[in-house]
Amino acid sequence: MSELIITDLHCEVGEKEILRGVNLTVRSGEVHIIMGPNGCGKSTLAHALTGRPGYRVTGGSATLDGVELLTLDPAERTRAGLFLALQQPMEVPGVRPADMLVAAGAPRGNVESAIAREAQAVGLRPELLERFVNVDLSGGERKRAEVVQLGVLQPRIAIFDEIDSGLDVDALGAVARRIETATREWGLGVLAITHFRRLLQELTPDVIHVMSAGRVVAEGGPELAEQLERDGYEPFRELA
Amino acid sequence: MTQFLDTANAWLTSRTDESVRRGALDAFVAAGLPTTTDEVWRYAPLADFDLNRYSVATPTGIAPTTPLTESIAALGSIVVRTLDGVVQAITGDIEGVTVTWSETRSADSATERYAADSLATLNWALMGGQLTIQVAEGVNAPGTIVLLHAITGSAVFPNVSIHVGRSATANVAEVWFGGADALVVPCEEYHVADNGSLTIASYQRLEQSAWYVSRTTALLQRDARVHQSVIGMGAKYDRARNDAVLQGTGAQNELWTTYLGQGDQVHDLRSHQMHEVGRTESRLLSKGAVAEQSRSIYTGLIEIERGARRTDARQTNHNLLLSPHAHADTVPNLDIRENDVTCAHASSVGPLDEFQRWYLESRGVTRHDAERLMIQGFFNEMLDVLPNNLARLLEADIAGQLEKVAVV
Repeated sequence: MSELIITDLHCEVGEKEILRGVNLTVRSGEVHIIMGPNGCGKSTLAHALTGRPGYRVTGGSATLDGVELLTLDPAERTRAGLFLALQQPMEVPGVRPADMLVAAGAPRGNVESAIAREAQAVGLRPELLERFVNVDLSGGERKRAEVVQLGVLQPRIAIFDEIDSGLDVDALGAVARRIETATREWGLGVLAITHFRRLLQELTPDVIHVMSAGRVVAEGGPELAEQLERDGYEPFRELA
Repeated sequence: MTQFLDTANAWLTSRTDESVRRGALDAFVAAGLPTTTDEVWRYAPLADFDLNRYSVATPTGIAPTTPLTESIAALGSIVVRTLDGVVQAITGDIEGVTVTWSETRSADSATERYAADSLATLNWALMGGQLTIQVAEGVNAPGTIVLLHAITGSAVFPNVSIHVGRSATANVAEVWFGGADALVVPCEEYHVADNGSLTIASYQRLEQSAWYVSRTTALLQRDARVHQSVIGMGAKYDRARNDAVLQGTGAQNELWTTYLGQGDQVHDLRSHQMHEVGRTESRLLSKGAVAEQSRSIYTGLIEIERGARRTDARQTNHNLLLSPHAHADTVPNLDIRENDVTCAHASSVGPLDEFQRWYLESRGVTRHDAERLMIQGFFNEMLDVLPNNLARLLEADIAGQLEKVAVV
């Protein structure tokens, strides 16, 4: 059983404080959804946890199975078990996915077959992953390529930053099924950021968190998503 | 340079074709050594160059080999082995391809092309002989023609001429290796007839005490295509001047150059994309990395003649700085005498992209490995156009070189 515990996390981007004390816990096999208005800090939370340049953590803690992540460099955080599927996965020209995944710790001997297996699971043509990382891939293909990497690396906890944007209905279904399978297959803990209820129809959440102005201001079950659909984020702004 | 000229004169008098060569040596003496006041030699470390350190090589013994050259030789349908610019062996066969070697120089060579390039002129005086590859009209030459140039002598002047006939295609790969303390001055011409196509890759892997001063000229007729990859890894001074003259409508030239600077190496790339007629296309992409105290120079000229309408010419030069002590100079130049053209140039000098590096790190790749992958990737991109098996061999060799380079 793995456990990601985020406690009173503060983060600045430039001179501006974006996260103002986030508290959240994700355990193996659980699916957590984060929703919130634009600019409330959802993506900042993902980037702060994974050490993206420009995101300065000014307070708080994030531990994975007792290991403090925030003092580790980005690769060590991932090797400790935390994975981020990006909203806009970037191109890395000249680097092949297989070489990247081997350098990330995947066994050289079966990386090609693992990529092919995972590509099939999300409906991505495996030959697209023989190109350089994300180069010449569409937005939707890049999202699926992120999930392929997840399947090969099999982290303990994964953050999905708007994995549903840019995916067609079939692709979203395939991606959600792969993620849900992973929660049973190796007990993946999921923290998925989204704007859309559609993801919730594909990926059954255990907990929904609502963020506003850099904090988690409400938690609940699927009924919270229904309330958001009905009333919008306005009632939650007052809670921030 | 008196001392060098004494050895050159002695060598020349022993040649049966002395009278043909003598004019080129006289032209070299009259022109003198290049100076940095000439734009095409600007920034070059000519103060460190002493021609008197060298004497004209007379090859002896059998050309050495390396594991890399033998791996590349195994890919060749035809393999030509030279020692100090003199052909020692030609093996293999492709129907419609003729490889010939002549120790005498042809009298009708267009040496006036090199009138402003004294070291290239010197090649036409002191070449060991002429290697000529002819691909007959309509022949789609399968496989790769491999040229392995071993250097063991002091001053070496290899001369290669490739002629691709009408609607013919050919694929050539050459490797330069050895060359401790040598001066290597190759001169190559690629003549591609109407609708012909040539892909040529040159891998320069000389010892780091060599001076390598190469000159290539591609001459493209109507609808001809040339893709040239020039990869510089070795030599103390690695100079590649690569010109393309687009003489026929519809001709397309692509030149991709790349290099890795280590120690105090200087990689010096010069290009001239000459569009003599309209509806021609040229692309230059130069990408390299400089580490430690090395430096790179890129100066390139796009020249478009009056009347060469609908020409499309582009230059791109990217330099990766892997050390605060490394340095890159980049100077693109345009000389356009026609309005109806598309022309672009771009250049950049900088360190590795920190966001790309973070992306790799966020997959679990350590910073050290992420940097190696990205630097290797810089070269992989440039090798991607080569035949797959050749690209993989060069990638592996470059990876081995990168292991020795300090990244700060």
